[in-house]
Formats: sequence, C-alpha cells, structure tokens
Amino acid sequence: MPESQHPADRDPMQPGLTAYPPRENWDSWTEYESRDWPNRSERTYSLVPTSCFNCESACGLLAYVDRETGDVRKFEGNPLHPGSRGRNCAKGPATLTQTHDPERILYPLKRVGERGGGKWERVSWDDVLDDLAGRIRSALVEDRKNEIMYHVGRPGEDGYTNRVLAAWGVDGHNSHTNICSAGARCGYAFWMGIDRPSPDYANAKAILLISAHLESGHYFNPHAQRILEGKRGGAKVIVMDPRLSNTATHADHWLPTYPGSEPAVLLAIANILLQNDWINRDFVRRWVNWESFMRARHSNDTLTFENFLVRLKESYNRYTPEFAESESGVPAQQIVEVARIIADAGEAFSAHNWRAAAAGNLHGWMTARALFFLNVLTGSVASKGGTTPNAYNKFVPKAHTSPPAPDQWNNLSWPKEFPLSFYEMSFLLPHFLKEGRGKLAAYFTRVYNPVWTNPDGFTWIEVLKNESLVECHAALTPVWSETAWFADYVLPVGLGSERHDLHSYETHASKWVAFRQPVLRAFRDRMGQPIEDTRDVNPGEVWEENEFWIELSWRIDPDGSLGIRQHFESPYESGQKISIDDYYRWIFENSVPGLPEAAATESLTPLEYMRRIGVFEVARDVYHTHETEVVTAGGRANPETGIVTDESGAAVGVEIDGVARQGFPTPSRKLELHSDTLAAWGWPEYAIPTHAPSHVAQSQLDAANNEFCLVPTFRLPVLIHTRSNNAKWLNEIAHSNPLWLNPDDAGRLGVHTNDLVRVNTEIGYYVLRAWVTEGIRPGVAACSHHMGRWRTQESEGNARWSSAKVSIQQDGTTFLMRREHGVEAFESADRDSQLVWWHDSGVHQNLTFPVQPDPISGAHAWHQRVRLEQAHDDDREGDISVDTAKSHEVYKAWMARTRPAPGPGGLRRPEWLQRPLKPTREAYRLVDSP
Amino acid sequence: MNYGWVIDQTKCIGCHACSTACKSENDVPLGVHRTWVKAVEVGEFPHVRRHFAVLRCNHCADPPCVHICPVSAMHQRADGIVDIAHDRCIGCKACIQACPFDAIHVDPAENTVAKCHFCAHRVDRGLLPACVVICPVEALVFGDMDDPQSRVNRYLGSTPLSVRRPEQNTRPKAFYAGAHAAALDPLAAAHEAAYMWSERRAGTAKDHSADFSVWSLLRSPTNASKAKGNGNGRTPRSRMPKARVAYDVHHEVSWKGKVSSYLWTKSVSAGSAFVGAAAMLFGFNTSDRLLATVAPMVALVALAATGVLLVIDLKRPERFWYILLKPQWRSWLTRGAYIITGFGAILSGWMALAMTGRVPSDLVLWTTVVLAFATAVYTAFLFAQCEARDLWQSPLVGPGLTIQMIIAGSGALLVLELFVPTTPEVTGFLSKVLLAGLSAHLLSILVGEVSARHGSSNAAAAADVMIKGQYAVLFWTSLVAGAIAPGFLLLTTGGAGVPLASGLALAGLLAYEHAFVMSAQSVPVS
Repeated sequence: MPESQHPADRDPMQPGLTAYPPRENWDSWTEYESRDWPNRSERTYSLVPTSCFNCESACGLLAYVDRETGDVRKFEGNPLHPGSRGRNCAKGPATLTQTHDPERILYPLKRVGERGGGKWERVSWDDVLDDLAGRIRSALVEDRKNEIMYHVGRPGEDGYTNRVLAAWGVDGHNSHTNICSAGARCGYAFWMGIDRPSPDYANAKAILLISAHLESGHYFNPHAQRILEGKRGGAKVIVMDPRLSNTATHADHWLPTYPGSEPAVLLAIANILLQNDWINRDFVRRWVNWESFMRARHSNDTLTFENFLVRLKESYNRYTPEFAESESGVPAQQIVEVARIIADAGEAFSAHNWRAAAAGNLHGWMTARALFFLNVLTGSVASKGGTTPNAYNKFVPKAHTSPPAPDQWNNLSWPKEFPLSFYEMSFLLPHFLKEGRGKLAAYFTRVYNPVWTNPDGFTWIEVLKNESLVECHAALTPVWSETAWFADYVLPVGLGSERHDLHSYETHASKWVAFRQPVLRAFRDRMGQPIEDTRDVNPGEVWEENEFWIELSWRIDPDGSLGIRQHFESPYESGQKISIDDYYRWIFENSVPGLPEAAATESLTPLEYMRRIGVFEVARDVYHTHETEVVTAGGRANPETGIVTDESGAAVGVEIDGVARQGFPTPSRKLELHSDTLAAWGWPEYAIPTHAPSHVAQSQLDAANNEFCLVPTFRLPVLIHTRSNNAKWLNEIAHSNPLWLNPDDAGRLGVHTNDLVRVNTEIGYYVLRAWVTEGIRPGVAACSHHMGRWRTQESEGNARWSSAKVSIQQDGTTFLMRREHGVEAFESADRDSQLVWWHDSGVHQNLTFPVQPDPISGAHAWHQRVRLEQAHDDDREGDISVDTAKSHEVYKAWMARTRPAPGPGGLRRPEWLQRPLKPTREAYRLVDSP
Repeated sequence: MNYGWVIDQTKCIGCHACSTACKSENDVPLGVHRTWVKAVEVGEFPHVRRHFAVLRCNHCADPPCVHICPVSAMHQRADGIVDIAHDRCIGCKACIQACPFDAIHVDPAENTVAKCHFCAHRVDRGLLPACVVICPVEALVFGDMDDPQSRVNRYLGSTPLSVRRPEQNTRPKAFYAGAHAAALDPLAAAHEAAYMWSERRAGTAKDHSADFSVWSLLRSPTNASKAKGNGNGRTPRSRMPKARVAYDVHHEVSWKGKVSSYLWTKSVSAGSAFVGAAAMLFGFNTSDRLLATVAPMVALVALAATGVLLVIDLKRPERFWYILLKPQWRSWLTRGAYIITGFGAILSGWMALAMTGRVPSDLVLWTTVVLAFATAVYTAFLFAQCEARDLWQSPLVGPGLTIQMIIAGSGALLVLELFVPTTPEVTGFLSKVLLAGLSAHLLSILVGEVSARHGSSNAAAAADVMIKGQYAVLFWTSLVAGAIAPGFLLLTTGGAGVPLASGLALAGLLAYEHAFVMSAQSVPVS
C-alpha cells in the first residue's frame, strides 16, 4: 500500500498528529467545520485525488467532497504523490477559488455580430460539435489539412491531444514553447538529444540555478522541496539572476549577472575547471564526442584524448574570470569561488536553466548549452546529485492505438527559416498569416491566451479579427481571457478537478505517472452512481477536453471512412465509441508496468487504483540510464563511430570501451560538445558552447540616453501566467507589477517608488509605477509578466478579480489602450467580491514588445531594449500605445538573421531533433536531395 | 500538553502557500489574514537580501487577548491553544488592542474577531494545522513543546530561536529560527506607498513607519543622481532605507472616533457628578439647582451617551448584554461595565431624589464621588490591558483621566451655568476647579508625554506621532486652545469669559482624547 510521503508523516512531526487522514478512511472522513468552530459541527467527506492544473508541476491534490452536499469543500495535497509529497504552493488550494468563481463561463458561447464585438449567445455543445466537425472534415477531404491548428498553452498532459491530431492526420500541433522554454530546450538538446534537464537537487553538493526555481520554477513546489533538502544536506546554492528573486535571497552565491552575459560567466567557470584539471576526465573521455570536435576543428592533430584536452583548453582560455566580470558585472573572484564549489561537488552538481536568460536573449539558448557544459565537465550527468536528461525521469504510457505519423508539414508552425527551432514558431503566426503564408479553417486555442501572453498582442488582435485569415476560432478555456474575446466559440473546459489527464514529470530521480480526474465523477463512482459524461458533474455544461475530442472525432468521421474513427473506438467493445473509463482502463491495464500488480495487492482494478490513489511510481532512484548495456540480436557496431544499430538499422547504442551502451539520442549517441548538426545547418560558429553578445548587451545600449535592458519575464510564486486571473486569494496577494529600478537609476531618472514611468520599446510604450529597490542590478529594469489583465466591457470578457476595464482606440496601425478603471468590488454570489480592496491590475507590457525570434532556437528573446523616462503630463497609469506597422518591420529585421532550410539532404529539419507530432520522413523533405 | 510553533525562516521561500491554505481551511474572507508572510529587503546592491517572516498568533502563554476579553470569547485551552468562540464575541475589538502582534482582526463576514487558532478543529481530529501541511519546505513546525518526541521540542533544544517583541512579556510560543531582526521588529523597516507586487492601503499605523524606522538611511545621493535634473522640479533621489518592507498586509485601526468620544462623554458624566457631589459635600448649598439637579442630569445624559457609544462601537451591538451576563472578571471592560452600571444606578437614585425635591444624603454623595472616580479611571486599567499600545501603558494615564474628569465636570457645569444660573460662590469654585484641572492637565502632559523618556520604542514612536506627526496639530491645538487659552481667560476675564473658557476646555479635551487614542494605534506592531 502506498504510504504518505509527507515529511511530517514519514518522520512524525508530532506523535498523535498526522498531515493527512489515514488512507483507509478516505471514503468517509469526518472533520469539524472550521466556519463553526469551536462548535463541533461535523462534516463527512470523501477524499478524491486529482492533479493541480495551474502550473506544469501538476502537483497532487486531494479534493474533500462533502458526502452530503456533493460539493468540494477544499483542496489539499495528495500525500501519496511522489513528486509533490502532500505539499503544494499557494496555487493548489486556490483551485477552489477557480472552480467556485461566480463568474465562470458555464455554457458554450457563440459570437453574435463581428468578431471581438463582445456579443454572445448560448449554444448547445451539439451545435458546436457539428459546426467544427464539418469545417474540419471539409479541410481534411479537400486536402487543406494544414488549415487545422490546435494551439496549446501549457498542456498539463502527455500525449492525449497529439494522438487526436495524429488520428486526424494533421500536423496541426502548435504550442507556447517558443515564448517559454525553447532556448533552454535547444541548449540541452544539442548536447544530449533530450531537451530538458532533471536535476537531482536533493542529493546535490552544489546547485546552480538560472531561474527562480525556488519560488516559481517550472516544477516549483517539487523542486523547492528538493533544493532545500539539498541545502540542508550541505549543498551550496548558486543563483544567477539580475534581480533579487526569493531564490537568489537563499543563495550562498548570488551572481547578479548583467542579462545576456550568463554564458560568459559559465564559460569562465568551464575555463577554470579545464585549466585546473578539475574535470572528470574519464567521463569526458567516454561520453563526449571529442572526436567530432577534433575532426571539425583540428583535423591535423593526432586523434587522442590528450590532444583534445589541450585544444579544448585553448578554445576556452579567452573566457577568463576578468572577461566574465567585464561582461556580467560579477566580480572575477566570486566566479573563481563558484568554480571551486562546482569542482568540489563533482558528480553531485545539479544545475537548471529553464526560462530566464535562455528565454530573454538573442543566443539565449547558449546559456543552457554553456550550463550543461559544466555538468559534462564534472561528469554530473545522470549521476546521483547530478543532472539527468529528463526522459529518464518521465514515463508516457501508450494508448490502445497509435495513429500513424502525419504526412504533412505545416509551414505556419515550422517555417523553413527556422529548421532548428524548439519548436513551433507560434508567436510569429500572426505575421505569417499577414504575409499570406496561409490561412486557418479551424483554429483552436486551448487554455491559451496569445493576445495577452505573447509579444505583440495587437497584431494578434488584428489577425484574429480577420475572418478570411482565421475562418473559425474556438477557444477552449475555463475562464474568460483576452484571446477568448476574439473567438467564434468560447467553450468552457474543466479545471484541475473537472477533467481527465495523464502526466508524468521529471521532478526528481524517479518515474511516476499521475491521473487528473473529475473528482465529482470519481466520487459518484465511489458512491455507486457511475455517470457517462463529465458534464453531468461539472458546473453548468463545463466539459472536459478528453470527451470533447472523442465526440468531435466521431463527428468528423461518422462512418469511419477517413480512418479516424477507429482510434476512438473502444478496445473492449468493437465498433463502439470509446468511453473515458475504457480509454484509461486500457492504458492502466496494459501500458504502465507494475500498476496491475500494485492494484491487485489492494484488490483493485488498475483503473480503480488510479481513481483512488491518483498516481503510480514506475521506478525510483533512476540514475546512469545512458550506461545501460545494449544487447541486440543481430545488431552491430559501426567500427568508425561505435554506433550500435538494431536489425532495422536504427541506432540503439554506442560502444564505450568495448561495451555497447544505450548512450544518448544524438547522432553520435554521445554528449555533443561539437554539434556537427549545427555546423552542417549553417551555424559552424556556434557548434561548440560559445558566448555571443545578446541584443540587450551593454554594448548595444545607449545608457546616456536612459536606455535599459528590461527583464519582463519574472514570475511570482502566487500567480501563473494567464490561468490565475480568477483566483481571488492569489490576486489579493499580488496585483501590481511595478517597474523595478535600482536607486542609482531611479535617482538619475528622478523617479521615486510609486511615481509613473514611461517605458518606450521599439514599437510603442507603456506607463506604470516604479518600485525602487536595491534588489536589481543598475542598468537593468524588471517587470513581472503576471499582471495587466484587461477587458473592454464592464462585466464580461475577463475576471473582475484581476482585470482593469480599458478602452482601445485604433487609428490605422496605431493602438492606444487606456485604463478606464482598475479592479473594483462587485456584486456576485460570492461574498468576497464585495470585499475586493485592491484597485491595481498591473500593466500589460507584452503588448508593447515586438517579436524577436532567435534564429537558431526560435525562442522569442523576451528582454527588451527600452528607453525610460518620467511619464508625460497626459500619461495615465496603464496607458499602452503600439504601432503594429512598426512591429511588422521589427519582425522582418529579425527574420533577416535566419539561415533557412533546406539543410543537408534537402531536409526541412534534422530528423534526429525532437519534434512534437513528428511527421513522416517524406514530409521532412523540402527539396529533392542534390 | 503545550502547543507551540517553530517557524524556520532559514527555509521559508516566501511562497504564501501557508497564507492561502489558511484562507481555504478557515474560509477567511478577503481583506483579512490569520497568517501572512512579511518580506523585508535589507542591504545595498549586491549585498542585499529579502527576509521573510511568517506572522500570526503567537499563542502566548500569558495571552493579553484572553485577559482583556470581557466575555471569555477569547480563551486559552488546556493544551495551550488560544482559541476564539465566535458566537460569544461581541466585537468590542479590545483583544485587537491587547495583542502586541497584530494577530487578531474583525472578520467582515461574521463581524466577530478571528485569528489563527492552530487549526484547533484539525488538531482535535488528530491532524496538523493546514499551513504546516502545505509548506513545501517544512519551515512551519507545530507540536507539543513538552513532548520530547516532537520536532518542536528538538528545535527548542538545539537551535537558537527568537520571539517577536519579547519586551511585551506575553511569553509568545511562536519561536523563530534564523529570522532577521528587521523582519521581526515592527519598527525596523520602513513601509513605502506600495509593496513590490501589491498595493498598500493607507490610513494605518504603517503610514508612519518611515518616520521612525530604526534603520533609517542607507545611501546618500550618488554622483549620478546629482548630475541630472528633471523637468518637473522634483529633486533626484536615490536614498533608500536600510531595511524596507517589500510585502505586508493591512491592519485596520480598530478604535477610532467613537472610542475617543466615549472617553470624553465618560469624563463629562463622571466629572459632572464628581464635581457636583464633591461641592455639596464641601458645604455648598445642597439646594443649588446646578449642583443638585443639573449635575446628576448631565451625568446621566452623558453616561447614556457613553453607553450608546460603547454599544454602537461593538461589531455585534445586539450582543452588548453578554458583557453583563457572560462576564469575564479579569477584563477591565467587564469591570468597567459594572462600574458604569453602578454609577448609573447611583446617579438615577440621586436624580430621583432631585426630581422629588429631596436632598441626597452624604452617603449618596460619597458613593457618587467614589463611583464617578471609578468610572473615570477604570479606563486606565483597561488601557493597561491593551498590551499593543504602549502609549496607553503609562502610569500617568490614571491620574490623567482623573484630571480630565475634573476638567470635563467643571467645564460642563460652567457651560450649563449659562442656562441655570448659580451663585457666584459656586461659579468661583467651579472656575478654580477648572483652572486647577487645566493646569494639572498641562503639567502632566508636558511632563508625561512631551519631555519624558518613554518606556518603550513603541510608546516613544506613538508619542512622536502625537507630538510631531499626524496628530500634532490636534494635540497642540488641544493644549493651546483647549488648556492654555481657557486658563488665560479664566485668570484674566473674570466671570465674562468663563463660559467660553469652559467650552474651549471641553473641546480641547475631546481633541486631546482623539489624539491620544489614535496616536497609540499609529505605530506598527507587526
């Protein structure tokens, strides 16, 4: 039986008191109602596990369902979850405020009048499904497959929707990755073929964080637990951030690097490790593709490891600590001290970069590449306390059918200018559409809000309003958003306790798979009242996407002639529409090793097990996966490269010192110091970890003219991008995003805390208040990206807990947004809406940012070159002005930096690089190979 | 069993999970907080850090909120938990004045007070408090301090710990590991007009913090900031407090005009009766209408007004009778209520005699004098129970209230003398009493508040707010126009200026009460 992972239970904090009710009582657990305390009025609950849907950590939740009323009273953590271990951040319990928001969208809405005009009528799901199915079917049969696009924010699930798109045969997956993690993914993938790190913080001796992983990281709560565990175990924490984050405040070494200079500091550390021979020679010799480096750059040398080390030292000796100091502002001495700490940690060196510098800069991906260089040199790759390729700590089970790869290549998501991008060039979509590269017949935004989240939102508005470019836009969203306002259908979908999803994340050296479920459905199931459709238990007609896609797929292919329907038929009843229970039952019975046996020991079916426990740990203490010996009957090793292939010719391993081992999914099956791919696809100068100036480097700015680097990306621990706008408890804590300025800079500008500042970007400006603080590097300004929610109508269009009512004036390509009033108390069924005391909504800065795609990773370089000044006399807080004609010019200027496909073999993209929904090999071909 | 907290700030990441879990578990409305995470930035770039302090009820071993609660709504359980029975609470807010940690608030949904109660409803079911369970980093530790098996106990024996405001001698049981002094000391760090990601509501004690932040200035203007002027005439500045609050929550000022007015009407009531009865005991004509009839009538009317003010200041006025029928005898609110009731009874007796043309006996007059005095000064003991307000803790408050009673009583009778003429002897006597009262008032304030060293930094800061800060105009006006000017009038103008002098004295007294009541609440305690 899985036991509570909560630390207060494992090592009892107080004998007699536990963190959670004993699991055997989860069907019926009686508590005293706090509202009526100290009167001992009792309420009896059924405790149902699910997963949080706020950030991507997907921490375990436990819903307390009142057995009498059938309502959820509260959400706590799931103590059986190996990732979150019964603990949560503020956003976990705040799920309750989202599910109980009195202003939720409860029914499907259809636009009346012009798009964005703000008039809606309630429609039935049937009408919605028929209309969408008709449009999609037409596009499929008329060979307009690329006109179908599913654009997702953070998916919060593994595989379900990609499988749907594959079943339809479309290359229609679009994501938010390139405004988020693309830089880091690129930097990691060119090393190891896997695009994410999984640091084993808890066992580390040194931890280097580039991002605020302690209070707002990608796997915030699970990672915070383990970083602190590592720290308690003696690990030294090193944090690079120009801004004093809560993470930086806990650092043994805070390195407030000037933005964009991070690779310089990291390569200086690498240089110190190399010159002092503080490296793990054996690991580097065995696992680095040093031969490629020598062949590419020193082909006249004798090919020996010793010669390689000599050349490597030569290559990096220009990155002195003094050079790094001049780039970053961090004292050379501190860089030397940090290098020593990393060297001492050896294989127990955990490092992590996810967004931050990698998402901020031209060449930002080099931050992750330079960072992982340190893991490679110290041998802390997939080691205990080290940094593991995430795929080793993640488990994605297969469903009952696997549709074939799409035979399409969607140029709107994968344009030829970005053959190495990670991944879809999502934030350029409106510019591509404007340029006439295509149109969309059916465009789904799914819990995604590009108008607000992406740069250049006014260009999004222009394109979304254009019905010839976007013929039909359906927004799948639990709440109003700035983007849903410009949809044809607003389709209410479930929150964390109202939907099914499977997910597995690399929170630590383990592999687990967790089950998000509609808790009231599971509760009804437990009470012996099973239901067929999640809408029966969700508020109003809020649906879950899983069922929506099944239903939509059936209507696209009612007779099965398109080959779609077969993937949505029950594996248990031939020809019948698959039910959600059957879908997950099959996976849990057939695809999750160990789960059927674990369920059997509890006398449960695998599905019942997951409905009651919520999570299953497939493996723990996963290290050194790359060392796994490979045995292939009939396989062989290439005598030159050592690469081991199986009978089909697919690479499955590499010979290391005469033993065939699994290695890494790169062309060399090793860690690629020298990327032959980068060299062959037109970027030889960046084939090894290198520092190149960012677009916001100090040398690019005119400081005398009050030009600053703006860091517009930092996150707060209590909010999550676009999803937390109706979480009243969270908005109460955080509702302002003032501009952080160092006192030196504020003094020069004549600005005090709370004074208005005008921030001028290349395409416009915005006006907001200042927060003068010692917690930021001089010359750098910073502004949290969470705030600035807006709506154009008084009582619809966005959550009134967090948004301002604004007006938008358009004059040709120039837009002016002006705040009419901030957040105000309002009437609703929730008493708290009258108790809203804050007025600030923050200012929406992303509208004023042009798109700045890095030519290699495709990541939007978020940092902005801005000119700061005191607000003008007629400026008002919240003013935003943008010229979209200028933004299109900036787009073109950045496009000019690209080096387009085809690459070797006439391909659109190297086949070995990861790609969501990988199409057929034929689709990769851009031109016939020469 | 003796429950307590250890809050390990070396681990806290400032994520506010505890604050939110508490909102959820206890259904806490917007605008109020049972627990919150204060953030303070200390130092100069790059040697700057943000320090957190998780602030909440300390479950003091010697809990002033329990002592002051008139109806036992706030109570200390045998296991050390300080709990609150909301259905007993009358909303007098005295506990808020008593708590030196800002831990108590009025719940806007219930209109009763609320605070952290260690999730007693969970503890009694064998569960840890909600904040403890959610904390990602095990920074919150809860348990029985006496149990050698508890983690709290292990901390107590092995780790250097501090408490908030030890000088308040409440024996707090929230122990902090690794907390920065600037985060725990409410006077260390300055609050500005806003916080780093939220608004700061004005109109509270925090408005004044920059004036008395202990760690005031860190930086002088740099050369850069001197160099460049700007268009609108503001001076460049880069001065930063050495410690500055980056996040905190709002704490309402809970006793305002109704309480100052209550002090004033009570002084008028007690004073009229006291001066009238004393004059008759001293041998003035017992049939003088001003003394025999008007004095008890004024006292009764003012006492009724006092009662009304007391009741309408309650958040649950319909429960006012709990104070008499569910008394908690250590509370000076309870004792005061009974004193006032007794005083009202004797006044009614005196009034009845007067109405029927009879002369009150010496026993009645002496009883009146004693109860009037008690009515006036019991508030000093109540204020002494307000552990959060050091300004009110001065030993001079009792004598001060006595003096105020004398001023108010003589002043009120002298004003009414316009309508109910009396003998020159009585007028002369009352004028002398008023003059003596005003002199004593001036002396005691100049000695007690203006020139004296205060017993604590909180009291000194409050006195600063009163004398030099937000309430300085009110305060100095009360002294100049309300004490010096009437004194001068009494000395120089003889009979003609007496009514004006009395009126000024009464108005001055009200102004002073307000300055005194508000200033004490103008110093942050969290």
